[in-house]
Amino acid sequence: MHIGIAGAGLLGRLLAFELARAGHKVEVFDPASGAEPQAGSPARAAGWTAAGMLSPVAELERAGEEVFQLGLRSCALWPGIVAALAQPVALTMNGSLLLAHRSDAGSAQRLIGLLQAKAAIHIHPQLLSRAELAQLEPAVNGPALAWLLPNEGLINPIQAMQALAAQATALGVHWHWQSAVNDLGNGALTCAGQARPRRFDHVFDVRGVGAKPALPVRGVRGEIIWLHAPGVQLKRPLRLMHPRISGYLVPRPDDIIVVGASEIESEDRSPISLRSTVELLTAAHSVIPELAEARMVHSETNLRPALPDNMPRIVNQPGITRINGLYRHGWLIAPALVERALLPMAGPDSEPAQAVNAMTASEVLS
Amino acid sequence: MSWDIAGRTLTSRFFLGTANYPSPEVLQQAIVASGAQVVTMGLKRQLAHGSQASDFFSLIKATGAQLLPNTAGCRTAREAVTLAAMARELFDTHWIKLEVVGDEHTLQPDPFELLSATEQLVKDGFEVFPYCTDDLVTCRRLLDAGCNILMPWGAPIGSGQGLINPFALRTLRSRLPEVPLIVDAGIGSPADAVQAMELGMDAVLLNSAVAHAVDPVMMARAFRLGIESGRLAYEAGVMARQDMAVASTPVTGQPFLL
Repeated sequence: MHIGIAGAGLLGRLLAFELARAGHKVEVFDPASGAEPQAGSPARAAGWTAAGMLSPVAELERAGEEVFQLGLRSCALWPGIVAALAQPVALTMNGSLLLAHRSDAGSAQRLIGLLQAKAAIHIHPQLLSRAELAQLEPAVNGPALAWLLPNEGLINPIQAMQALAAQATALGVHWHWQSAVNDLGNGALTCAGQARPRRFDHVFDVRGVGAKPALPVRGVRGEIIWLHAPGVQLKRPLRLMHPRISGYLVPRPDDIIVVGASEIESEDRSPISLRSTVELLTAAHSVIPELAEARMVHSETNLRPALPDNMPRIVNQPGITRINGLYRHGWLIAPALVERALLPMAGPDSEPAQAVNAMTASEVLS
Repeated sequence: MSWDIAGRTLTSRFFLGTANYPSPEVLQQAIVASGAQVVTMGLKRQLAHGSQASDFFSLIKATGAQLLPNTAGCRTAREAVTLAAMARELFDTHWIKLEVVGDEHTLQPDPFELLSATEQLVKDGFEVFPYCTDDLVTCRRLLDAGCNILMPWGAPIGSGQGLINPFALRTLRSRLPEVPLIVDAGIGSPADAVQAMELGMDAVLLNSAVAHAVDPVMMARAFRLGIESGRLAYEAGVMARQDMAVASTPVTGQPFLL
């Protein structure tokens, strides 16, 4: 089939890669100027900015069973996807830690209780002794309370975005950069400034916040900071539980630690605010005091595409599929969503079809 | 059982906050379940950089509830006055819930900045709903500055401690019988809301107790019933307490206990 994809974010790249791998002829359209990270570009895909935490259990704080199941499925799919990419992508499954200071024990217990109520018993958070915490993450010093979520992971989003595009290109995918798509319909998409639509056998709308007004999607502002901290060893994602601030720290290559993220109901893409900076860095420093001499090398603001129920949605119509609403769960759920969206294009006996049939979340997504 | 506030006639005495819900859709459902006709929304982080109203606002507007913008997060009168002006322009309302915080840990209102912001906003034509402490003299000064409404706290914001000083609220009610009093902040369970309404408060404003419930929509309904129940009890007149048991069915043989 001849496939057109509007949007070259995480979903667009995953779709292009999977469809090309299945033998389809694929063209991708996006307003960005190229496949590489566009430093300073005002409207880059949300996937570039995200931390890349694969945390189905921790996300139960906000999400429900559907996202949880999609997350578990995606955690199972990522290793196979990464193995099929020629460029290296860091993917670790060392678990993640939930941390709290003693004075915030009340609010930490509230969250732990919520996770215990929502998750199956074998994946409950495991309370760690101080000695166990010191062994897992020696740099952590301050929080008295720590829980391990053993099955959680971390993917490097920047490496993955680049490797997916490179692999798709090698499989023959054609990229149309600086081409915003204004309108999509049955087997057709129209680029900005062009009068006539381009024809395909099927089109995908994965434009994120750019899908307005076709979908009731809104942007939720998030802000992150990159710290350069040579000598600070961090092996897994950390989340600090605090009554007012929710912050995480995530290790990246070259001594970078990413600290995030604010969550503000606004489509403001302007640079990070002083308040968010102070809150995020106070949280980070209270968890790893050694970060005091880290250098703030980069900060970034982006918009998470969210639907009114904050849940992902696949809308299938003749000749067009729209996927949107990945909100703060993009890297966690994208592979399972793509697998589900491509189900109608695969044969009934295909492997993904059987896999998705085992999923419990499918009815919510139709 | 309608009542008037700031030129509007309302049937609900439940004002609902819009922050920290699992999703805008749950918030919309909670507003419907609460029966609230007035919802409040913090604007500081949204508008501080001069950006436009987002889709989140449209989702709230779609419920048909009247918007009461608030200045949560402001620490000075000057900040609050600027934000109120932006809110009026954006949402086409002269109502403003004035919050000026004086202490980061308790988020206690700063009475001095509050008074100074009130004077300016009243001059600028706003209907000021001041989030204040339960101190009688502070409340009087706010009325002197032109407030028509008071919003004394029940307990610190988000603490869920209920009414920590019922005496002060009773005093406000008895000394300021004509002023609409809305208990704002600190409510944890519907029992707290019933207590506030039985004290004769005109309405209750809350957010966290609903948003942080395991089922916010069901909790919104629980509060709606509690607030109605408390108001009915206040109007019906709660019987006086006494130590001696009084049988509801008359008994004979013991006219006096000595």
